[in-house]
Amino acid sequence: MSALTLYQLVALLLLGIGLYGIIQRRTLVGMLIAVELMLNGAGLSIVAAAQLTEANATLGQLGALLVMGLAAAEATLVLAIIVVVSRRFGTAEVRALSTLKE
Amino acid sequence: MEILAKIAFTLYALIILGGGLVAVTSANLVRALVGLIVTFFGVAGLYLLLNTPFLAFMQILIYVGAICVLVFFAIMLSRTGEEAATIPVKRRLYALLAGLAPAIGLALIIVNHPNVSKALPEEVPLPALGVGLLDQYSLSFELISMVLLVAMSGAVLLTWERKTKK
Repeated sequence: MSALTLYQLVALLLLGIGLYGIIQRRTLVGMLIAVELMLNGAGLSIVAAAQLTEANATLGQLGALLVMGLAAAEATLVLAIIVVVSRRFGTAEVRALSTLKE
Repeated sequence: MEILAKIAFTLYALIILGGGLVAVTSANLVRALVGLIVTFFGVAGLYLLLNTPFLAFMQILIYVGAICVLVFFAIMLSRTGEEAATIPVKRRLYALLAGLAPAIGLALIIVNHPNVSKALPEEVPLPALGVGLLDQYSLSFELISMVLLVAMSGAVLLTWERKTKK
């Protein structure tokens, strides 16, 4: 197996673990952790593809940096949403969030 | 040297696997967060192996330094340190299927259609990255700062408590 294939398989491992986590978790925080795992796998896949093929390596590294910035923005917003939800419902369990407006 | 790289790759892949499994299966969310941090360090090691030390340091700085602290704040502010320990087996099975199906499908494609891979990763000097950010890809650089600003002000607005009660 070539080096690129091995790196892509590790990225796929992160994707699979993240998907398992986001479905199995019951709280919003657990889901946030799973999403971070998947985003990390995406960044790893981008960098591996850029570094090990003839593609533009600078573009690949900057793309991975962009993914990191987006992950930070997403985590900030999810933190705010979790705070609002736990203030209104008293818990961050997804099962409690069945009403849109009271 | 080839063998050393393979050993390091296997080690980092095992770290990622172990950390990821702890991150999604642990009932205690703080322990899950520690698993997430271990995974981030494993991915940083893979970045080092890919000859991108800048990205490895950014990974540790942004993910471990910023995002993990945010997740910890989320755990503490929502007061949900523990997940319900008894998740039905059926739910776990469905989740496992949903995680495995796309992963195995994509893995089959990757293994059956191998791409031409270089033996050694490319080396990009740090000044080239800086010039790229400010010259060719300056629009995306500005856009990501806009996105971060909007996310930050949105978070402040969402959690703002109006002082209407007198």
